[in-house]
Amino acid sequence: MKTAHWNYAVRTDRPLITAPLLFFSALALIALALSAWRLFGGLAFTGMNDDYAIGVWKTFNVMTLTALGSSALAAGLTTWVFNQRQLHVVMRTALTSSILFYGTGMFALGFDVGRPWNFYHVILPWNWNLHSALLEVSVCMTAYVALFLLYENLPTVLPARWFARIKPLYPYMVAAAFLLPAMHQSSLGSLMVIAGTKVHPLWQTQMLPAFYLIQAIVCGFASLILILMISCLAFHRPLDIPIMATLARFMAWGSLVFVVLRYADIVIRGELSTAFTDGWYAVLFQGENLFVLIPALVLLGARRRSIPRVLFVAAAATAIGGLVYRFSPTTLAFRYGRASIYFPSIGELLMCVGYISLAIALFILAVRRFAILPDRISD
Amino acid sequence: MTRHGPQRGSGETAEGFSRRDLFRIGASASAATLAATLPASAEERGAPADALGLLYDTTVCIGCKACVAACTTANNLEPDTELSGGIWQMPTDLNSQTKNIIQLYRSPDGAESSFMKRQCMQCVDPACASACPFNALSKGAYGIVEWEPTRCIGCRFCEISCPFDVPRFEWAKFNPRIVKCELCRHRLPQGLQPACTEVCPVSAVIFGKRADLLREAHRRIDANPGKYYQNRVYGEQDLGGTQVVYLSHVPFAKLGLPEVGTESRAHYGEKVHGVIYKGMVVPAIVYAGLAFIMRRRFNAHEEHARDEQSKTGREDQL
Repeated sequence: MKTAHWNYAVRTDRPLITAPLLFFSALALIALALSAWRLFGGLAFTGMNDDYAIGVWKTFNVMTLTALGSSALAAGLTTWVFNQRQLHVVMRTALTSSILFYGTGMFALGFDVGRPWNFYHVILPWNWNLHSALLEVSVCMTAYVALFLLYENLPTVLPARWFARIKPLYPYMVAAAFLLPAMHQSSLGSLMVIAGTKVHPLWQTQMLPAFYLIQAIVCGFASLILILMISCLAFHRPLDIPIMATLARFMAWGSLVFVVLRYADIVIRGELSTAFTDGWYAVLFQGENLFVLIPALVLLGARRRSIPRVLFVAAAATAIGGLVYRFSPTTLAFRYGRASIYFPSIGELLMCVGYISLAIALFILAVRRFAILPDRISD
Repeated sequence: MTRHGPQRGSGETAEGFSRRDLFRIGASASAATLAATLPASAEERGAPADALGLLYDTTVCIGCKACVAACTTANNLEPDTELSGGIWQMPTDLNSQTKNIIQLYRSPDGAESSFMKRQCMQCVDPACASACPFNALSKGAYGIVEWEPTRCIGCRFCEISCPFDVPRFEWAKFNPRIVKCELCRHRLPQGLQPACTEVCPVSAVIFGKRADLLREAHRRIDANPGKYYQNRVYGEQDLGGTQVVYLSHVPFAKLGLPEVGTESRAHYGEKVHGVIYKGMVVPAIVYAGLAFIMRRRFNAHEEHARDEQSKTGREDQL
């Protein structure tokens, strides 16, 4: 793989219609058709039931995958607040992928809820239940995507002189674009706190909001690393090793914080022995942590994190560990010890995969049309 | 070409991120912590004085299921006849057609058995109402947990949060409802009691004010020491208290009543969330800190960008 210092975001000059685009568009179209059909047919075709009342659209497309959509938060905080200005060049990639992950997740949500036409209450504050973590997620995620994340993406799609009119708002909008995901990413964890003993004791903790937020940031770095590397391969771009190494360093430290807090949490709650004795749940718990911990230890070495192959495998492992962690409280460790399990139906899975494909297809179109992916251009 | 920004790999404390900034972040963080710990005594919710409920006594119930049929009629529900091939009402569990059910517990050796009546427990501090984003489920008159169709988005977090697995969802419907016992609140203004208590031939389930029901339950325990499990009324304290309370001759856990202490799920669930969002103090402080830093960073960035543009002729990309 070629390497170079990225200095500008440039649109790709690949042909518009390519095999991957057609593939992901086809999957997305299947999901859209099924979604339209589902609106009239109810939810009985899913694997959900009254014991397992939430399925993959909520638990995976939203509660899990918005962690990958948190690269705007992770990279944004690093770039602006921690003043790593060299990362500005990858911010557009982060912002575009984030709005697509979030947007398709919320789209999925629209078909998951049974009475979406009542969602207008989200703009009527007097109908809000301020005790509800789901209220916080509904309001905060909607505002983030429709207002702040959208605003952050405008410079990518609008001519500079149009954006100049609303540019003075930039620091205040971006500050909100950091606060809001921090709020709703943690609230996604709070959602399962009220499920109490239905969630396995290795996962049920008052620390869930903190863990979900940390994992959002860690997965945000991981997804940005993976998206940049895959894009560079797919669009024949050089890779900027120092920038990737910076992202990897922040990801590794976030991972260490996650793993340390997680073990501290089970020690304090007296569940340490459960983590080694409770069969499949112990394996799952340790697996989530090891998938995050081992890459972090590897990436702490400055030389190792400069090797693309190491970087890719480590970021992929971290993302898997993080995503499985975010999937466990709602699904893998939910209603533990029962004979019955939830497994999504074919239609449900096709929609789940289709919404993700929709994000990928739109991303391919976006980098073709707009200056998003970083490149090296000469002066 | 010259690159703006610090040298790569220059360590954690990059230029421009001064000690004073760190101090400011630390100060707002500790202010936030302080604000968060002050109102730590989360509100304790007690049952309203006129709270209505049910008392069900397993030692009296004969398992006739008259209450199941009466409930279906009183609530205009389609009887669940699936198991009998369309002949009799034979629900196997609470479901979207069944708000009230009589189930049988029998120990594996057959020595111990009991009927069990299940319906909404009308929690004093209901988890469903705490989880519900737009107050579709809420405590209404007499402490009854009511469902309001125009506010329900069908998210089903009531089902996730309910410790008794009571709310049910119409999975096959176009405009699905949440189905659960509302203590026949549509009958109360007509001076009627809930259909289940009205029809019960042996008064295994009785209707009344929660306070009166608890008094009656304790009277029965005192009159028959040792007859009831742990000489205890389930729901008096459990999970923050319920307005439907139980007396049983077998362990409550065998009847599917969770033995998980006296803290309500709502209280447990709001411990952290409720404190962080109390008066929006913490978010406001964090926002102020972020906006302050962002303004400085953005001004510096704009300056750099102008320099860059004059040097390279390239417009800044945000």
